[in-house]
Amino acid sequence: MTATRRSFLHEPPAVEADATVAARMGLADLSLGARTGFKGPGAMDWLAGQGLAIGDAANVAYPQANGLLVAKLAPTEALILDCLGGDGAGVDALDRAWSLETAGGCYLLPRRDSHVWLRVAGDAAPAMFSKICAVDLRPARFSNHAIAQTSVARLNAIVVRDDLGATPAFHLLADSASADYLWRCLIDAMAEFGGVAVAEDALYRQL
Amino acid sequence: MTMRLENGAGRLIDRDKPVSFTFEGQTVDAFDGDTVASALLANGIWTLSRSFKYHRPRGPLTMAGHDANTLVQLPDEPNVLADRLAAAPGLEVRGQNYAGSLTRDRRSLIGAVGEFLPVGFYYRAFYKPRGAWKFWEPIVRDFAGLGRVNVESRHGYYDKQYLFADLVVVGGGPSGLSAALQAARAGLEVILIDEMPALGGALNYARFVNGHADGLVDAVVAEPNIEVLSGATCTGWFADNWLAVMRGNRLYKLRAKQVVVATGAIEQPMVFRNNDLPGVVVGSAVQRLIKLYGVKPGTRAVVAAANADGYGVALDLHEAGVEVAAVVDLRPDPPRCAFSDRCRDAGTRIIAGHAVAEAYGRDRVAGVTVSEIVCEGQCAPSGERIDCDLLCLSVGYAPAAALVCHTGLKLGYDGDTHMFRVNGGLPDGLAVSGAVAGAHALDAALAQGQRAGWATAKALGAEAGPEPAAPNDLGNRGVNHPWPIFPHPKGRDFIDFDEDLTVKDINNAIADGYREIELVKRFSTVGMGPSQGRHSALNTARLTAKATGRDVAKVGTTTVRPPVLPEKFAVLAGRAFTPERLTPMHRRHKDLGATMMVAGSWRRPAFYGDPASPEETIRQEALAVRNGVGLIDVSTLGGLEVRGPDAAEFLNRLYTFAYKKQPVGRARYVLMTDRTGAIVDDGVACRLHEQHFYVTATTGGVDAVYRQMLWWNAQWRLDVDVANVTAAYAGINIAGPHARAVLAPLCDVDLSTEAFPYMGVRTGAVAGVPARLLRVGFVGELGYEIHVPAGCGEAVWDALMAAGADHGIRPFGVEAQRLLRLEKGHIIVGQDSDGLTHPYEADMAWAVSRNKPFFVGGRSIEIQMKRGLARKLVGFTLVDPNAPMPKECHLVVRGAEIPGRVTSCAWSPVLEKVIGLAYVAPDQADMGSEFDIKVEGGRLVKAVVVPLPFYDPDNQRQAL
Repeated sequence: MTATRRSFLHEPPAVEADATVAARMGLADLSLGARTGFKGPGAMDWLAGQGLAIGDAANVAYPQANGLLVAKLAPTEALILDCLGGDGAGVDALDRAWSLETAGGCYLLPRRDSHVWLRVAGDAAPAMFSKICAVDLRPARFSNHAIAQTSVARLNAIVVRDDLGATPAFHLLADSASADYLWRCLIDAMAEFGGVAVAEDALYRQL
Repeated sequence: MTMRLENGAGRLIDRDKPVSFTFEGQTVDAFDGDTVASALLANGIWTLSRSFKYHRPRGPLTMAGHDANTLVQLPDEPNVLADRLAAAPGLEVRGQNYAGSLTRDRRSLIGAVGEFLPVGFYYRAFYKPRGAWKFWEPIVRDFAGLGRVNVESRHGYYDKQYLFADLVVVGGGPSGLSAALQAARAGLEVILIDEMPALGGALNYARFVNGHADGLVDAVVAEPNIEVLSGATCTGWFADNWLAVMRGNRLYKLRAKQVVVATGAIEQPMVFRNNDLPGVVVGSAVQRLIKLYGVKPGTRAVVAAANADGYGVALDLHEAGVEVAAVVDLRPDPPRCAFSDRCRDAGTRIIAGHAVAEAYGRDRVAGVTVSEIVCEGQCAPSGERIDCDLLCLSVGYAPAAALVCHTGLKLGYDGDTHMFRVNGGLPDGLAVSGAVAGAHALDAALAQGQRAGWATAKALGAEAGPEPAAPNDLGNRGVNHPWPIFPHPKGRDFIDFDEDLTVKDINNAIADGYREIELVKRFSTVGMGPSQGRHSALNTARLTAKATGRDVAKVGTTTVRPPVLPEKFAVLAGRAFTPERLTPMHRRHKDLGATMMVAGSWRRPAFYGDPASPEETIRQEALAVRNGVGLIDVSTLGGLEVRGPDAAEFLNRLYTFAYKKQPVGRARYVLMTDRTGAIVDDGVACRLHEQHFYVTATTGGVDAVYRQMLWWNAQWRLDVDVANVTAAYAGINIAGPHARAVLAPLCDVDLSTEAFPYMGVRTGAVAGVPARLLRVGFVGELGYEIHVPAGCGEAVWDALMAAGADHGIRPFGVEAQRLLRLEKGHIIVGQDSDGLTHPYEADMAWAVSRNKPFFVGGRSIEIQMKRGLARKLVGFTLVDPNAPMPKECHLVVRGAEIPGRVTSCAWSPVLEKVIGLAYVAPDQADMGSEFDIKVEGGRLVKAVVVPLPFYDPDNQRQAL
């Protein structure tokens, strides 16, 4: 099915292939990456049963040994992101393992389609976000793997800090139907800091 | 003639970078760092604009960006403060509010009849006879005013930014610097806001008798915990230390744990005849001109003083090469100070116990009459005339306490110092420091700042160190003269320069019975101009106190509200964030030449093809569906997952129909009513599993339905989970007699009528993509609504279009769908219903289950039905097929009665007649009943009630 999928951005962005993300700022479209979600009173138990290690605190993302990042949005809800450049196997395995009959009180959410997945990286990323988001995302105030469920450019959004090495980086997930709009807002807000659209490879180089 | 000082003065200007701009069409030379006002004064141009009412020439009063005298016009922007506006190459600046030329304003003649134009004259003179104001208003408005809005101006780029800090210090003067440094050294994250381009405040231009602050600015700049926002104005304090800060084209929304307001004090004018002439300025204005911009403000000056600062001004003038003709000290026996001693040593003439009674001049002060003060507010009838081209006023200050007053605090008045003061009562987390808190001596301001910084650090749990000592003496005695107001029998003794209000205007307002300060303000408009009373509030309070026999403390001050300085609409609007939702197939619609329409936050194809003839295009699209096969993007329809053991019970309570016995694999209509019984949404519930319903909702209604579901789920505490998956699914409706033939080759589901009947639901794959297929019939033809993951929507659309090519498949838009559904008599919630419509009125009794104990709105519907129907939705056609076609919302009339309205109406290409839905009186609702519709032009068109649906009444086509 992957072959038939396309990004939620209707116009493929022009990316700078050799952009240095840290000093400037990079915005990458990860929409084709694998992600899923589960919620319900039985969600954490079911995910634990799948071998995921998830702490007690909500609004924290928990990196997994297999590279997945489990963003615990609530005591009963998790968003699961594939690792950078991942093949989606870990996420697909979770989706396949789930069924309404067997996952009591745990409900699958189609996060791959409901949410566009963008990644913003760069030292100036928190300053850029301050133009479109009311949450203080500066590194000293918003720790690595912290989660903000907030409004970004007037869209409901999930912001997960997940640094790339020493470079501040954020996953940004929001309504997939608003992907073009959000992309435009981010490009506009980044311009002041020299930010550019980049390919996923540029994010790799920060690791 | 250049008035630029040759001694290299002017810490803000860069003499190596000349710039030029135009004022009134003439080139003005300036330096980088100049403001427009400083550059004009450096070129000997003092008249910047004309006054609001009398068209009097006006020049800078404060050079601080605080007075309305410097408002000028730019091509794209009116009312710009010339003493804030940076001189920039290519700038085109003009004066404001004049007819003819700025120097020869024809309308200045109105000043000659000013005596007959008292405050509120137009209320009295132009409101009678009835209707007269309509004649006079445009004339009055044309005469009075500020700049002019250019409606052709280009859009600028404005935006907003959030900022956060432990401590925000507003004011970059000595006390603010001191507070910021103290707190930052204790580890606090500090933002320092200063309205000037360079930190230091009065340190940059004023003389201080006591104390020094050497190195303070450098220390602040070097402190890593301090972020400086220079050239920024904090325009409002709001609850919980939320601050609005304007800088350039950006509005900062700043959240601070602690705020220290160190905004200083505003030097006050003196009141005497012609005190508004260009060249009459407050003392600090000339200090700014000399020290900040290197401008020699005049050639011969008089200083009217009532404090030591006035002598400091005289010294600055002397050093700048300006002849000081006299220091006129209002005090009969002025105390000696270092400055006055130096003035005496320099041979400056000091005239004690006198005041300026009158100024002379046409477009600039040319001389003053200095008279002895015989009693409070009164000068001797005769005096000495002193020629001068500059008059400096140093008679006192008012605290710049607007931000503090935004908390709701009213300033008090100290009868000993003759100053307004902040009496305390500040909210937690807000403190004042420096001159705004009454500390006029430099050492006192610095000490207060240190204490404020220390206190905020301590409040936030930082290691604050030992408490700094409080200042012994604030230095605020002998700063303000108690009564610097000298009314003149001939008037023109201005209290408020913004509105051209004189002493007589204020006294007349009080004499008319407006004795309270708030009423004086409202009747006279004092303090309501762009300066917001910064230079008029103190003297107005004094006049009101005197006229009403009260203390100034009793009179008080008016309410101060944000903003401190005028805010542009553009700044408030900022970067517009208007979310726009596109369906997964949006690119295909554009490629197909769709004309897009707005549907809530979505963009949907209205129709495809030539926008020049939409009606014909829409008819062709509709006929394609009726006769062949069509494809419509229905991704905007709401999608909700309702899962869990109680899912059926949940829907049973939420919707009007019954769902507990709904078989898996079947869809059922859902109609939602609110607690008043009014229809709020509809859709279908598809049972995919015993514990799983996929429920659709209207494009515009799904978010509200989702909220309702969450709310009721929390109330009922059923074992059910609700998820809004609208954006996760692309929806495509393929409809028409050939729909099955197109879809079948792409689909692994048996599409035969027997295997997949009307209102059936199946899951399978379409073009290899997992899909939910719904056999529903909104348009009344054989059709399949295909819901696939949004990321695959475009691929499935492409596959269907390719598969349908041999069948002449044609995409159709929302407009054709509206026509097709009307032919089937299906309602659109919100169009064919309103906020009061209940299901029986909409003729939807079939959608209400009477065999269940409860659903939201059920009880209300029951009560309304006991009262009987007030109206009913019916289908109609026109008796005369050639009659003009009614439009939506045309009224159904019966004599003087309006029983209802048309909700939908269109010409049906397949039926070849006009069809519509309308609300009529219950007794008009029988089949064959006729009723009148009032169409455009007031003509009555006769309609007849017909059965629904109009098309395919036996519903055979959708069940094929």
